[in-house]
Amino acid sequence: MTPLIRITGLTKTLKGQDEPRTILAGVDLTLHAGESIAILGRSGSGKSTLLSLIGLFDRADSGQYLLGDNDITRIPERRAAALRSEEFGFVFQRFFLLKHLSAVQNVSMALVNGQGWLPRRKRRAKAMEALERVGIAHLAKHKPQRLSGGEQQRVAIARALVREPRILLADEPTGALDTETGNLVVEALRSATDRGCGLILVTHDHDHASKMGRVLQLTNGVFDATPERVVV
Amino acid sequence: MRLSGRLRSSLIIGGQGIRARKMRTFLSMLSLFLGVLAVVTVQAGSVIAQRAMLSDVEITRGKDGTLQMYLPSNPQSVPVAIDVIKGRGDAVGVTRGKAVIGEPGVKPLNEGGGRVDDGGGYARAVNVTCDAGGCRPVEDEDAGAPQGQAIELGMNALTGDIRQFRPFRLQSGEWLDFSSAPSLSPRIVLNKYAAEGFAKHRIPAEMRVSGAVANATPRIIGVVDDGGWGPAAYVRSDELLNWMPVDSLSDQRYGTMELMLAPTATDLQQTLRTRLVAAGANADEIHAETINSLKEMQSQLSLMRWIFLGMAAMVLLIGVAGILNVGLATVGERIEEFALRRAVGTPRLLLAGIVLAETLLTGLLTAAAAIGFGIAGLKAVSSVLGSREPFLQNVDFPWQAGVAGIIAGLVAGVLGGLIPAIRAARIPIATVMRA
Repeated sequence: MTPLIRITGLTKTLKGQDEPRTILAGVDLTLHAGESIAILGRSGSGKSTLLSLIGLFDRADSGQYLLGDNDITRIPERRAAALRSEEFGFVFQRFFLLKHLSAVQNVSMALVNGQGWLPRRKRRAKAMEALERVGIAHLAKHKPQRLSGGEQQRVAIARALVREPRILLADEPTGALDTETGNLVVEALRSATDRGCGLILVTHDHDHASKMGRVLQLTNGVFDATPERVVV
Repeated sequence: MRLSGRLRSSLIIGGQGIRARKMRTFLSMLSLFLGVLAVVTVQAGSVIAQRAMLSDVEITRGKDGTLQMYLPSNPQSVPVAIDVIKGRGDAVGVTRGKAVIGEPGVKPLNEGGGRVDDGGGYARAVNVTCDAGGCRPVEDEDAGAPQGQAIELGMNALTGDIRQFRPFRLQSGEWLDFSSAPSLSPRIVLNKYAAEGFAKHRIPAEMRVSGAVANATPRIIGVVDDGGWGPAAYVRSDELLNWMPVDSLSDQRYGTMELMLAPTATDLQQTLRTRLVAAGANADEIHAETINSLKEMQSQLSLMRWIFLGMAAMVLLIGVAGILNVGLATVGERIEEFALRRAVGTPRLLLAGIVLAETLLTGLLTAAAAIGFGIAGLKAVSSVLGSREPFLQNVDFPWQAGVAGIIAGLVAGVLGGLIPAIRAARIPIATVMRA
């Protein structure tokens, strides 16, 4: 079966005022439908950079990136935006909820992105369904200020899931949460893979990583050769 | 009307942005309000001024497109013209002469036909008459007569309703009725300067008209504003002709008959020329011209309007700077929101569209407020000053000012939103969303 994502030899160097700094030095990665991968690594090891390349926030300097059978290594920004809408869902450490919108509006904002059009009633129904999936439909009308950290992150997960993406990318989604809430959030993310969604979780937490199907360690811009699964 | 998904998205998100930042939107509107109001006021002012000027010019000269013909000084000109235009609703002949209403055998209070309060005066110089043989003084009929209760006025004899060409403003009473049979007691309508004289002095109702075989008893039936500058009266020419021969209707000192023709009356013009030439008139002496007052006025008004519009544009520019300032600050504050929107698939162009939609909506709201203010202001000015200034009575808000206000609001929205929109579209997702 064709993997969802196949990355080969991906490199990224940051060019600032100082010396150019190599962040990724040839990363290979494959993600299949329904698979979950945790990426571990120290701060500055390139985890978030890799995720931003996978999520098409940024472009790699070299290497190849296949999405299904399509080479999307050098696609234009317009196509990248469409793919971010159709194929990817994103969860960030800081929840990035819009303060002036309620929970359900924060979820449905992902449906008002200029990529197709859904009537208001349908948008709301889909957003409610996504909130239901993460177990907080009863908080739909609450503004983010009235939600706890865990609830806010679950609203963010619902926002990521509302377009039913094939790939879910989570960048340290439990970083701002306590352990128990973090576990709930990880479980909500992992349950998405039951429907065939591929999940890549960037985390510092070995416990959360161990709940994923595969665990990869990123060190100095490359994945460690062995072993893929870490023992806690 | 079906809007595209992107347009709908930008309007929805723009609307949410405005609702979320009401105070900022209000401040932006405030800075823009004066600019848009200045544009609306200048445009409204120029249209109203143009209307007022045109209305005055129409009263004194005639409506645009009216064909004006001056007949040659041939004794047959007037009888021929009256015969040709008889029964035609699209042409009116006007002859001018002198009339004195009041005591017979006295010098009028305003000898010369000037304003009664000024004691006449402007025409006290020796009257002259000119013809092919040259000019010579006319003997003063009232020479040696004592001054008495009489008023001299310009008498305009009309073959039909002249108001279709010169829309006189009726001030009191009624206008001449041309559908009834002519009366032996000529009905006359005074202009306001003549009416002022008759209101101040007790004047007997006896009318001497130059060329008349006897004095008539006139009936004053109304007062109009004819835009003139001295006392004048209007009378049906057929009622005046009961008292004088037709060739005396036109006093040569005041020119020959003037004809006003509708633009469509080209056949009449042709017939008249042919008949006049056949009656012995010199074809070269038949002058015709089309009234084109609007064009003449526009050149005068346009310079003034451009100067005021330039000033309004400066005020508008200050409003644009206000929107720009608030827009840039808002984009800086909303970096995370815009990065998030890009992350969920919003294209750069749509992000720019969202910011532009917000500033455009702000501009439109401001324009609506300024137009509303303009309409209310005009109504207030009309009700307060309308009694003193006739051109402000029942004045409608010009649609051109509304359009100018909307355009000003949209232009200000685009100018003020463009740079913030470009900045919003360039926000890098990876940097902002990093954990």
